[in-house]
Amino acid sequence: MVDLFSGQLLIAALVLAAIYGLVALGLNLIYGTMRLLNVAHGEILMLGGYLAYWTFTLTGVGPVWSMFLALVLAGAFGAIVYRTLCRRVLRSSRLIEQIEANSLLLLFGVSIILQNVIALSFTATARAYPYLDDIVRIGTFQVTADRLVVLGIGLALCFAAILFFRLSATGLQIRALIQQPDAALLVGVDVERMRLISFSLGFAIAGVAGCLISMLEQVSPFMGFPFTIAAFVVIILGGLGNLAGGLAGAAVLAAIEVYGVALTTTSMRSILIYGVFIAVLVWRPQGLFGGRSMVR
Amino acid sequence: MAEHSRFLALLAVAVAAFALVPRLGGDYAIGVALNLLMWIALTQSWVVLSAMTGYVSLGHAVFFGAGAYAMVLCFGSLPFWLSVIVAGAATGLLALLVGYPCLRVRGPYFVILTFGLAELVKFVVINVEAALGQFGRLLFGGPGLAQIFYVVLVLAAVSVIVTWFVRRSRFGAGLRAIRENEEAAETLGIDVARYKVLAFALSAIVPGMVGAAMVLRTTYFEPLDLFNPITSFTIVSIAIIGGGDDVPGPVYGALFLVLMQELLWANWPEVYMILLGGLLVAFVLGVPDGIHGRVAAWRKARG
Amino acid sequence: MKKTIGTAFAATFAGAVALGGFAASAADPVKIGFSESKTGLFAQAATSQYQSYNLWREQMNAAGGLDVAGTKRKVEFVSYDDQSNPGKAVQIYEKLITDDKVDLLLAPWGTSLHLAIAGVIERYKFPVVGNTAASVQLRKLKAGNIWFPTSLFPDRQSDVLAALLKDRGVNTAALVTNQLPYTQENKSFVVPALKKAGIELVVNEDYPPNVKDLTAVLTKVKNAKPDAVLAYTYPADAVLYMNGAREVGLNQRVQVVLLGPQYDFFDKIFGAARNGILTMGHWTPARKDWPSARTFADAFKARWKTDPDFVDAPLAYVSVEILQQAVAKAGLDKDKLRATIAGTTFATINGPVRFEGVMNVALPTMISQIQGGTQHIVWPPKERTAEAIAKPAWK
Repeated sequence: MVDLFSGQLLIAALVLAAIYGLVALGLNLIYGTMRLLNVAHGEILMLGGYLAYWTFTLTGVGPVWSMFLALVLAGAFGAIVYRTLCRRVLRSSRLIEQIEANSLLLLFGVSIILQNVIALSFTATARAYPYLDDIVRIGTFQVTADRLVVLGIGLALCFAAILFFRLSATGLQIRALIQQPDAALLVGVDVERMRLISFSLGFAIAGVAGCLISMLEQVSPFMGFPFTIAAFVVIILGGLGNLAGGLAGAAVLAAIEVYGVALTTTSMRSILIYGVFIAVLVWRPQGLFGGRSMVR
Repeated sequence: MAEHSRFLALLAVAVAAFALVPRLGGDYAIGVALNLLMWIALTQSWVVLSAMTGYVSLGHAVFFGAGAYAMVLCFGSLPFWLSVIVAGAATGLLALLVGYPCLRVRGPYFVILTFGLAELVKFVVINVEAALGQFGRLLFGGPGLAQIFYVVLVLAAVSVIVTWFVRRSRFGAGLRAIRENEEAAETLGIDVARYKVLAFALSAIVPGMVGAAMVLRTTYFEPLDLFNPITSFTIVSIAIIGGGDDVPGPVYGALFLVLMQELLWANWPEVYMILLGGLLVAFVLGVPDGIHGRVAAWRKARG
Repeated sequence: MKKTIGTAFAATFAGAVALGGFAASAADPVKIGFSESKTGLFAQAATSQYQSYNLWREQMNAAGGLDVAGTKRKVEFVSYDDQSNPGKAVQIYEKLITDDKVDLLLAPWGTSLHLAIAGVIERYKFPVVGNTAASVQLRKLKAGNIWFPTSLFPDRQSDVLAALLKDRGVNTAALVTNQLPYTQENKSFVVPALKKAGIELVVNEDYPPNVKDLTAVLTKVKNAKPDAVLAYTYPADAVLYMNGAREVGLNQRVQVVLLGPQYDFFDKIFGAARNGILTMGHWTPARKDWPSARTFADAFKARWKTDPDFVDAPLAYVSVEILQQAVAKAGLDKDKLRATIAGTTFATINGPVRFEGVMNVALPTMISQIQGGTQHIVWPPKERTAEAIAKPAWK
């Protein structure tokens, strides 16, 4: 009853995949290099959204430009959080024992602070602004321009990130740190510097993702958590710490969201997503696309 | 033995003291004490699984919510106390069913898996309710505040007893061996899979019963409320703040968090959540052993 | 020296006692308590209620205070965050009544919290005028200590909507519904109401509250070619519907979006694209026979730099207006207050309010439509501020 090959569904899936991919990338980076469960990830995204909103509302400058500001500010904020908080967790022998639970609690605290500081400053009211909302016709289907922009920038950033981790010296060191932390130390990777860079980069990407998402939906202080969850689903599907797998995971999630419900009913959406998610975790914890088992 | 009798005596005194709250305090005091007991019961149960085996569950809200849902389904057809027991049985069964596949997964994967499980069950319940044509259920004519309080008091006591005796049993020693080194535990002849599933089920029953009792506190059922991930997060927070894998940890943790929350909330309503977040951060970094660890160290220093 | 301090101390003490004794009579502020959903699920939606409450408090205090049976007394709020948690709200109202000993109570946000606190206020016989709650379940509450000024009850709303659709020449309709309680309740009443009106339902599908894309279901709707589309949304997914409907090209002349178009952010995103969208609501500043409606809208905008929404903000304000008029007449005595609220006709920004049981019987159920950047009442005919228009095609 729905034409599965329609361009309309394809573009919807692609836009979602780009968003999920971008949102998950930063989380994966921080988890992969440090095993920190960053539950404040969505809050960084929320901050990026507010930055875009206020920049547009006060100066008329759109998110396509303010995302550079978000990149820098969120990156700097990431560096501060890493230096003041997370580094201390990684250095404490007592805390590293239960790194998942401890980092979860620490960053849960951070997320509560961020949500409520924003709610106190700007109230919890949802805010939004109009931006590039003209309809663009492509062949047999149509799409709003802002979604095309998100798709373009999102995919470009994801591929740029992949290239960075495959080609640049820093990127290769970070990947080494993710895949073989002990060996990385032996071959002289500056672990501390790579961790700082990964953390900062993870936040920066989340900030940019927030800017982009603010074009498509309203921002509010409590918007972050669902994105944190989505990001966790994506990186599990793709394999924890597997950056390219994360992109594939994003595509899978988007496909379930669009094609899965086209084949069944929309009411099944969340059950399908979490069902697949749990099935993958139970039968293939290394992710759909990881060759090697990532389980310790 | 002396240790057991001292523990049981202390527990009896504590239960007796709490039992007086509805007689002496107003509704507000009962509410705070009820909250405290609820978190103690939930976190003690969590400790049996997560602190003892090292399998950190970030989805204990699933048992709280499933127990509440069992109560909702029984409401009106079974007496209150029987519904609470049914809820406990149902969540224990749920844990047995999902336990085996779930507990094959370790470390961070288990953490995220349990979270996903809670979300899955939440959306299944939402779907079932929609299919039944329900839109938030009214639960009028349930038990009063004091009655709920006494039930939760009993559940908190039960959870404390379970943690205490499991911790000091061969079963508990096995669970802790799994935490230290699962492969080694297996070679020692511990039936690792069975131990883990049993611990999982044991950690699910009381939360299910607590959920069943607490849903009647508000006379209204809405799935989104009762499967709230914040419940799972709070349990982990309390366990970490309290510290350790034994009875005192959750008690210290719940006392600290609940009282601190009341204090901050009543005095600085504008910024209390921010202060609470700051407190969590400070706690992880400043008191890594939890309150229990600090108290133990202090006792040792005193001799 | 010692003596001086002693004397000064005694004098201050005596002064304080005297002041205390004096203050207890007239100049003491009236303490009004409520819980607000500052964090959690409802936080985003609950803000405008808080804004209306505070606007009213500032207006009262600027005018010298609240008239308590002839004496003007300043208004002071005692409020706590309920984290959108019904259990917490119950605790807060217990604290407000027994511990803070407030003089009056205002309502929390949303149906579930209203239902949650109903037990507490019944136990303490503390009258509360509700506002942002609408569910047929509310009618099961015992009358006497709680009242609901709204008429957005899903059963009546569904009948009125079906009549409007019939009038617009609708024969087939598609319905997509969020799985949250208010939309599910509306669905359960609108399905039989449509059937009764002879309107055939060609698509009827639910979606979960955390949905991120509606393209697939909206494509189904498009293929079914209904005369009308009913999107039973909450504000967040209303945005998804609007974007999806535009992209898929759902150009039905009759489109209902249940919750979302009433809010300011919706205007900010969609602007003129909202025009012609039908929605729920029984308030508009455009009603000439409710002159204070316009005054309220302007005051709200001046105070909060944003337009009030068309549902929660006015309802919250109506509830304090009722309380204000009742207190002027009856003072703070709970029994007198209860009798006054139950037996008086109040003049509010939403027209007259008169309660029978827990319900406001003076306000008919209405359907609204976004026209020219504001919300107009378009149905039933004798209530309307504008004729319903066909929704223009998406641009």
